[in-house]
Amino acid sequence: MKDYKLEVWATLICFIIVAVIGGFFSSFVVILNEVFFTQVPTPEGLVAHYGETMFLIKENLTVMGFPLHYFLLIMFSWIGVTIIGAIWCVIMDRIEERQRA
Amino acid sequence: MEPRGEVFVLGLVLSIVVLLISVLISVWARRFTRSLGDYYVAGRSIGAINNGLAMVSLALSLTTFIGLTALIIEGVYIAVAVYASFTAAFIGLMILAAPYLRNHKSFTTMAFISERYGSKTLRYMSVVVMMIVSVLYLAGNLKGIGIVFFFLLGVPEVVGIVVGGLVVTLYVTLGGMYGVTYNQTFQTIVLLFCLLLPVAVVLRALGTAGWFFPPLGYGDMVPDMIEFVPHYFWAMLEHPITYIAIFLGSFFGIIGLPHFVMRFFTVRDAKEARWSMILCVFLVGLVNTTVYATGFAAVYYMSTTAGVDLTPAAYDYMVFILVEALAGQGWLALAVAGSVAAGLSTVSGLLMIMGAGLIHDLYGELKPDVDDEKKLKLSYLAMFVVGVLVILFSLNPPEFILKAIMWAFGIAAAGLGVPIVLGIWWKRTTKQGVGVGMTVGSLIAIYGWVMIELVGMNPVDVPFPFFNTYLYGPMGWIKFTVLAVTFSFILTVVVSWLTPPPAEELQRQVDEMHGWTDYDPKRYNSKVLPIAVVFFSVFFLWFMTTLYDVFPK
Repeated sequence: MKDYKLEVWATLICFIIVAVIGGFFSSFVVILNEVFFTQVPTPEGLVAHYGETMFLIKENLTVMGFPLHYFLLIMFSWIGVTIIGAIWCVIMDRIEERQRA
Repeated sequence: MEPRGEVFVLGLVLSIVVLLISVLISVWARRFTRSLGDYYVAGRSIGAINNGLAMVSLALSLTTFIGLTALIIEGVYIAVAVYASFTAAFIGLMILAAPYLRNHKSFTTMAFISERYGSKTLRYMSVVVMMIVSVLYLAGNLKGIGIVFFFLLGVPEVVGIVVGGLVVTLYVTLGGMYGVTYNQTFQTIVLLFCLLLPVAVVLRALGTAGWFFPPLGYGDMVPDMIEFVPHYFWAMLEHPITYIAIFLGSFFGIIGLPHFVMRFFTVRDAKEARWSMILCVFLVGLVNTTVYATGFAAVYYMSTTAGVDLTPAAYDYMVFILVEALAGQGWLALAVAGSVAAGLSTVSGLLMIMGAGLIHDLYGELKPDVDDEKKLKLSYLAMFVVGVLVILFSLNPPEFILKAIMWAFGIAAAGLGVPIVLGIWWKRTTKQGVGVGMTVGSLIAIYGWVMIELVGMNPVDVPFPFFNTYLYGPMGWIKFTVLAVTFSFILTVVVSWLTPPPAEELQRQVDEMHGWTDYDPKRYNSKVLPIAVVFFSVFFLWFMTTLYDVFPK
């Protein structure tokens, strides 16, 4: 039962992380900006509100030249999920070895 | 969009080389095929590296090369969000399904659903869903091959669809799963080089400092881009449910896409299935981030270059226009060859699963007394007939290829993804629950596709009680995925609760899939999972109806 719980919890946690950083991250960029929901979300309206900077981006808040949210999205959905997946694989390999033993 | 005006000899030669090598690989691989198991699942002998590379070329179809760039031009940030979700979905597929499907020892998705739930009716239903999904997916990819031929030779797209379709039908029919696997591995290597190198040269021509590593090499051009296209990196033009629709479609759609799932039946064991996914997702991410760079370069080029005034229908050609204008004909030839490889690999995987579905899952069930040798011969015939039929269907292809693929993901998620996931993780799932959930879920998605894409209705005008009001926005059509997947989940769980639990022998399969040699009725039978699934499904439906006044209609 211990290995069963480990399998279920590892799977649940890894899936939630992967879903959030891969699938939901973009929506958080929207949802977390409470100011946004009082604005009219048209490009023109947003330019007027945010000026020539970017959404959720303050001056100089960039990584390698990219807006922070964009950089995080592409890196999380690529390197991030690969690492999470590898960790899950290692856990499952160990459970499988114990099941065989 | 006009063709180049002359035959592009270098591109044509490289493309023919790719096509010839593909056929030769199939002829070579034919020697390994001695039984039905060899033909459909390569004797379950494929290793992690080979399978991972083959998965990459399955994932990176012409929609990646051509469709994504077009979508980035159209939708900018949201297109990147779509593909970010697609990339992460591979790990979702691994965590929720891949190794367990391998342990089940089925040949196909349809066989898995039938055997897991003990129902022949579900097998027939899933074959129908699989055929619809595969044809939608194929039509998009064959159109991509048509685009490449149009650009190369100036001949109508239809010629490319027929020629490309016939070549791939030939090598799939000849080589079976061994041929498909080795071809996909070869095509992955081709398309990695043929995408990364030309894009690097394009970025260099645009003057970016990090051109040598395209995925992250265009950061220094961002300030200029914002000056030209202020909203390029903004994510807020759509209700957040759009992103949730993308998540549901990509994460459960990829599990429901039978040509992806079939790859896991070919590997040696569950461990190989897992690690093949890690290799796959790393390379898929590398290519996708490179394509984001291509999309960025395309928008940047259109914004900064006078005289580039393309119609939206021509955006599918943008990769080639960009490479030719900024890199030259040698690099264009490489990009064209890579595109051909990308198109062929995905089409071959789809033809394989369609042939397997018809002969193994349909004919084999209706005529159980037919021996394997006859089934194998019929498989060759079925594969050829399916290939020709798909070519005929693809003669009237969708306008935007990626849109067709996203509809396919939605249908696959509701019709096949939900039964697979619940079948692996919840013993209490019954055949009645799956029957109702699969039927309603896939019909909702198919209905949306027919009314919007075939009839041409605006999503908010599609008759759908209560919810149609909320299908607004530039990507309002994708919200049908939320309706289809959530209804599929809710109905499957609720009807399963209302019907008698499945027989112990069916529940045992769940323990076996997870690697247990003994049976424990308490495992994978918690009430938490079904309650959470219904809760989140209802929450997503409710969330869709919120913030109505905030977003542009």
